[in-house]
Amino acid sequence: MRLVANLLDRARPLFDEGGRLNFFKPVFDAGDAFFFSPATATAVAPHARDPLDVKRYMTTVIIALVPATLASIYFFGLRMIPVFIVSYAAGGAVEVLFATVRKEEVNEGFLVTGLIFPLVLPPALPLWMVAVGCAFGVLIGKELFGGTGRNLFNAALVGRVFLGLAYPKAMSGAWVEPGTGLLGRATELSVDAVASATPLALAKAGEFTATTDLFFGSVLGSAGETSALAIILGGVFLVGVGVASWRTTVSFLGSFAVLSLVLHGGDVGTVGWHMLAGGVLFGAFFMATDPVTSPMTSAGKWIYGIVIGVATALIRNLTGYVEGVTFAILLGNIFAPVLDETFIAASVRRLREQKA
Amino acid sequence: MATNEPIACTTCALPGGPCGGKGIATLKDGVWAQNPISIQILGICSALAVTNRLENSLVMGVALIFVCVGSNLFVSLLRNVTPRRIRMIAEVAIIATFVIVFDQILKAYYWEMSKQLGPYVGLIITNCIVMGRAEAFALQNRPVVSIVDGVANGIGYAIVLALIGFFRELVGAGTVFGHVVMPEWYVPNQLAILAPGAFVALGFLIALFNALSGANEEDEGTQP
Repeated sequence: MRLVANLLDRARPLFDEGGRLNFFKPVFDAGDAFFFSPATATAVAPHARDPLDVKRYMTTVIIALVPATLASIYFFGLRMIPVFIVSYAAGGAVEVLFATVRKEEVNEGFLVTGLIFPLVLPPALPLWMVAVGCAFGVLIGKELFGGTGRNLFNAALVGRVFLGLAYPKAMSGAWVEPGTGLLGRATELSVDAVASATPLALAKAGEFTATTDLFFGSVLGSAGETSALAIILGGVFLVGVGVASWRTTVSFLGSFAVLSLVLHGGDVGTVGWHMLAGGVLFGAFFMATDPVTSPMTSAGKWIYGIVIGVATALIRNLTGYVEGVTFAILLGNIFAPVLDETFIAASVRRLREQKA
Repeated sequence: MATNEPIACTTCALPGGPCGGKGIATLKDGVWAQNPISIQILGICSALAVTNRLENSLVMGVALIFVCVGSNLFVSLLRNVTPRRIRMIAEVAIIATFVIVFDQILKAYYWEMSKQLGPYVGLIITNCIVMGRAEAFALQNRPVVSIVDGVANGIGYAIVLALIGFFRELVGAGTVFGHVVMPEWYVPNQLAILAPGAFVALGFLIALFNALSGANEEDEGTQP
C-alpha cells in the first residue's frame, strides 16, 4: 500500500489547480478515493460525525450482493465475470465522462449499479447489449437527472427496461440451464443460450417448477435473481444493518402476498411459490430499497412498497407479461417524490397546529 | 395589398415591402428562434406519433406546411370582417377545410401513405401550431407576411420531424427511406420505433437545439 500511496502523492501536483492534467482531476480523485479515504476535512461547522457516508453505504450493498453474485457464477458459469467487467466499463465510462465535464467527483453509487445491472439480466445476453444497456441506464436514468442522488429512476432498471423493449427477442432467449453438483457451472467458461420458458412463463401455462429448485436457484432466470436463498442471505444483512429500509421490503412483500392471495383464491402454496419465483425477492431487498429513488419518510416508504407490491401482482396475474417487478418498481419510483412531499407537508402542518 | 409586387427577400426586409419589414424576422422565428416544436414544445403528439419512419415524417411536414400557409392566408384575409366573438369557430372552419383537402389528396393518390398516417392527418385540425399561428399571427398581420409565417412554422415543424424520423428509422430498422443502410451485423433497436424512443429522440433533439442556440442556459448565479 505504501507504494500506491507514494505513487499517488507524486502524481497529485499534476492534477491540482494549474497542473498539466488538471482536466482529469475527477479521474485521479476516483483512483485516490478507491484506495484511501480522502484527506480533505470539513473546515467549517457543523461537523456531523457519522461513519455511514456514501462510500460505506455503497460498500455495504456490494457486500450484501456477494451471495447473489456467487450464486450467479455457480449456476450460470464463469462467463458472468466478463459480463460484470463489461457492465462496469460501459457504465463507468459514462460516469467518468460526466464527472469530468461537470468537474465533480466520480461517485461510488456507480459501484452498485455496475454490479446489480448484470444480476437482473438474462445470463447469456451478448456482451455488447450489456454495455449498451448499462450506458443507457446510467446516462438517461441517472446522469441526465443530475447524477447520483438526483435520479428519479433506478438506473439499473432503466437499463433493463431499455434492453427489454429494444431487443425483446434477445432478452427472452438468453437464458442458461442452471448448473448442478458441487461446482455447478463455475468451471465452465462458455455457456449455451436457450430460449426455453422461465418458471413464471411455465406457471402461466399451469406448470409449476419445484419450490425447492426456486429456493436454491437452479432454475432459468435472470443471473442474480434465481436463488432465493442467496438473496435472503444478503438481503437480511442489508436490512439488518439498516442500509435498506425494512419498511419498503415488508410493505412490498406483504402487499404482494395479500393481493396474490386474493387473486389466487386463497391458495397459500401458490402464493408462496410466487414469492420465490422471478424477481420479487431481489426487487424487494435490493432494487426497491435504493435510498435515492425511494421515499425518505417512513409513511412514504409504506405506501411506496404497497404501490410496488400491488403493481407486481397485477402485472403478473392480469396482463400478458409474465413478470412485472421491473415495471412496478419504476412505477413506484415515480410516486416517491410526491409521497415525500405529501407526508412532509402533513408533518409541518401538524407541528404548526401544535405550536398554535 | 401589394400582392403584385415580387416577393423577394430584399423587399421583405424593407419597411414598405409586402411583409412590412418583418419578412426575414418572421421566417427566422418560425424555423429557428421560435421553432414550434424545439422551442415552444407544441404539436408534440403528432411529432411523436408519425415519426417512426422518415417518409411519414416528411409527408406530415408537407401537410402541416400546406395547412398552415392556407389557414394563415385566409384567416389574415378575413381578419377585418371576422366578428371577434366567433373568430375561433371561423379559424377552425378554415383550418378544417385545408386539412380535408390535403387528406383527400392523400387518399386519392397516395393511399398507402394515407393508411400509414392513420388519423394523424385529420388531427392537424386540432394541432396547436396551426391554431396558434392563426390566433397569434394571422389575425394581426397582413396576408403576405402571414404566408411567410405559415411557411416558416411549417418548415420549422417539418425539419424537426424529419430529423426525428431519420434517427428513429435508422436506429429502429437500420433503414433510410426503406433502404437498408446499416451493415449486416446491426441489430435494430426496436425501442426507437416505439413511443418511448420518440420521447428520447425528441429530448436529445431539443437539448441539441438549445445547446446550439444558447437558449434556456441555466444561470449559474441564481442556483440555490
